[in-house]
Amino acid sequence: MKKTLLLAFLFFGSMESMAAVGAPCGDYGECDTFKPELNNMESLQLGALTFINHCYGCHSLKYSRWGRVSEDLDIPEDIFIDNLVFGTNVKLGDRMMGSMKPAVSETWFGIAPPDLTLVTRLHGSDWVYSYLRTFYEDSSKPYGVNNMVYPGAAMPNALASLQGQQILSCKDIPIIASNGGVRRDEFGNDITEKKCGYLKTIEGSGSLSVQEFDEVIFNLVNFMTYIGEPSRSDRERMGWYAILFFVVFTSFAYLLFREYQKDYH
Amino acid sequence: MTQKSSGFFNWINARLPIVNTYERHLSKHPVPKKVNFWYMFGALASVVLIIQIVSGIWLMFGYENTEEGAFASIEYIMRDIEYGWIIRYMHTTGASMFFAVVYLHMFRGLLYGSYHKPRELVWVFGMTIYLVMMAEGFLGYVLPYGQMSYWGAQVIISLFGAIPYIGESLEIWVRGDYYISGATISRFFALHVVALPLILIALVFMHLVALHEVGAGNPEGVDIEKHIDENGVPLDSVPFFPYKVLNALVAIGIFGIVFSIIMFFFPEGGGYMLELANFEEANPLSTPEHIAPVWYYSPYYAMLRAVPDKLGGLVVMGAAIAILFVVPWLDRSKAASIRYKGILSKIAMTIFIISWLMLAWLGTVPVTALRTTLSIIGTVIYFAFFLLMPIYTSIEKTKPVPERL
Ligand code: HEM
Repeated sequence: MKKTLLLAFLFFGSMESMAAVGAPCGDYGECDTFKPELNNMESLQLGALTFINHCYGCHSLKYSRWGRVSEDLDIPEDIFIDNLVFGTNVKLGDRMMGSMKPAVSETWFGIAPPDLTLVTRLHGSDWVYSYLRTFYEDSSKPYGVNNMVYPGAAMPNALASLQGQQILSCKDIPIIASNGGVRRDEFGNDITEKKCGYLKTIEGSGSLSVQEFDEVIFNLVNFMTYIGEPSRSDRERMGWYAILFFVVFTSFAYLLFREYQKDYH
Repeated sequence: MTQKSSGFFNWINARLPIVNTYERHLSKHPVPKKVNFWYMFGALASVVLIIQIVSGIWLMFGYENTEEGAFASIEYIMRDIEYGWIIRYMHTTGASMFFAVVYLHMFRGLLYGSYHKPRELVWVFGMTIYLVMMAEGFLGYVLPYGQMSYWGAQVIISLFGAIPYIGESLEIWVRGDYYISGATISRFFALHVVALPLILIALVFMHLVALHEVGAGNPEGVDIEKHIDENGVPLDSVPFFPYKVLNALVAIGIFGIVFSIIMFFFPEGGGYMLELANFEEANPLSTPEHIAPVWYYSPYYAMLRAVPDKLGGLVVMGAAIAILFVVPWLDRSKAASIRYKGILSKIAMTIFIISWLMLAWLGTVPVTALRTTLSIIGTVIYFAFFLLMPIYTSIEKTKPVPERL
C-alpha cells in the first residue's frame, strides 16, 4: 500500500518540467541547439563513419539495418561493406547489433552501454550534441573524465584522440551592474569576479582544432538524428503534398458549398 | 443491363430496406438549415473513428503483443514496413485529434444545450462513448511498452488498489499477474483492438440512431419540428444530401490540413502526444524521473492530485465524469442555447471555461503549493458549475426563444 501510494504520488506529482530538476543539459545549463541537415548526404556519411569507428564498438543500433543505411545515405554497397561493415558474416539485411557482447561490456563499464538507435528521440539531438562536446578531465573518475551534461556518465571520452584534453577552467568575468552596464572601479577599470566551470581544450593535445571537432560532432549527431527516425526527411517532404491536397480539396468543397447554399438562403 | 441490375436491386430492396434506410438516415434526412461550425465536430469525430480503425488494423499487421517483442515491433513498423511510419503517426495523431474533436463536440453540447429534451439520450450515449474512449486511449498507450507506458500503467492500475476490500484482488485481476507483464500486454491488446472498438462502434450507432429519431438541434435552440410542411418535413430544414454533405466536406478539408500539419511536421506534439520517455523500452527496475499523462487526461489528473488521499482523488475524478451524464436533468432553463439564457448562466459558463482550461494546464505542470491550491479551486468550480446549475438556470430570466430559425 505504501509503495502504491508512493507511486501514485510520483505519478501525479511529477509531470515535472525539466526546470524542476535542473537545467536540461545538467551542469552545462541550456543545451546547445542542433539543427539537423537530413538531406546533407556528405554530413550523414561522415557521421556514420565516425559512429562506426568510435561508438559502434560499444553501442549497438539494433533497430536499424545495414542495408537501409547504405541505401538512405547513398553509399554504394561495395564501398559500404568495405569501409563500414567490419564483420565478415554480416549481411546487408542484418540489424546493427553492435560488436561487443553485453555481458562483457557490463563487467567493463558496470552497466551495459545502451543501444543508441533512439537516443536522439529520447533526449533530443540538442542534448546529444551538447553531451558529446562536454567531457572534461576529472581524475576522480574511473576513465579520468566526467561530463557536464550528464555528470557521472560511465563512459570514456570516445573521441579524446580527436578532441584532445578538455579541462574545466576559471575566467575573470565582468560584473554587470543593475543598470545593465559593466561595473567599474573609481579608475574606470572593469570590476571582475572569478567564475569557474568553463570548458577549455588544451591546445595541441588532440588531432583536431575545436572547430574541426565541433564539425565532426555535428556530422555524428546528424547521423544519429537520422538513425532515430530514418523516414523523417520523407515525412517532411510528403507533408507538403498532403497539405497541398487538402488545400485544393477544401477550396473545391467550399466553392461547391457556396453554390448549393444559394438554394436555401 | 440497367433493366436487369435494377431488377436485381429491386429484388434485394424488397427484402432488405436499403433505399428506405438510405433515404431516412442519409439522403432525405432533414437537418436544420442554419447551424454553425460547432456542428461539424460530430462528423469529424466519425471521420477520426474510421481513421483509427483502419490505421489500427494496419498497425496490427506488424505489432507483436509480447513483453519481449512489443517495443521492437513498433520500431519495426516505423522502419522496416513500407510507409509503416505513416500508419503509426496517423494512429497516434488520430488519438489526440479524436479527443480534441470530441471535447469540442461536447463543449458545443454545453454551449447550445444540445442535451435538452428530447435529446437527453443522445447525450447519455455520447457520454458513454467518451468513457469508453478514455479507457481505449489508456489501453493503447500501454501497448508500445515504453518506459512511460509501463509506469503509467503501473500507476493507473494501482488506483484500483485504493478501492476498499476488493482493491488488491481487483488490481491483480486487471493486470492478470502480480506485476505488469506479458499477460497484461496481451489482455490490453485484446481489449484495445477488439472489445472496446466493438463497443465504441455500437455506441456511435446508437448515438446516431437516437439523434435521427428526434432530429438534430441548432445554435438557436429553436424547435424546428413545430413548423412542418404537408409531408411532415420541418420548414427550417434542408435534406442532408447534398446540402449538409457539402458542409461536412469543407470541414473535413480544413481538418485534413490541420491533421497533416501535426502528423507530418509535429508527430510528437512537443512531447504531449508522443512522450519522449516512451522512446525507451520499459524497464521495471528504473522509475522515470517524470511520469506524465498525455494531454487529454490532464484536467482529471489535476483533480486527482488536488485531493491528498488516493481513494478520495479517485472518487473525485470519477464523480467529475459521472456528473456529466446527468447534465440534461441539471439544466432547468427554458432556453437551450446560451444565446437566450440569462446572465447567471453566461457568467457560470465563462468561469467554467476558464477553470477547465486552468485545470488542463495544471495537469501538465509540476505541483507546487500554489498550483495545488489552484487545482482545488478549479475542482470546486468544476463541481459548482454543475451542482448549482438547477438553481441558477431556474431563477434567472431567459430571453424569448424565436419561433423560426
Ligand atoms: C466517437 C465519438 C462521437 C461521434 C462519432 C459522434 C457523432 C455525432 C454526430 C455525427 C452528430 C450529429 C452532428 C453534430 O451535431 O455534430 C452528433 C450529435 C450529438 N452528439 Fe455526438 N458523437 C460522439 C461523441 C459524443 C460525445 C462524447 C457526446 C457528449 C457527451 C456527444 C453528444 C452529442 C449530442 C448532444 C448531439 C446532438 C447535437 C444536436 O443535435 O444539437 N457525442 N454526434
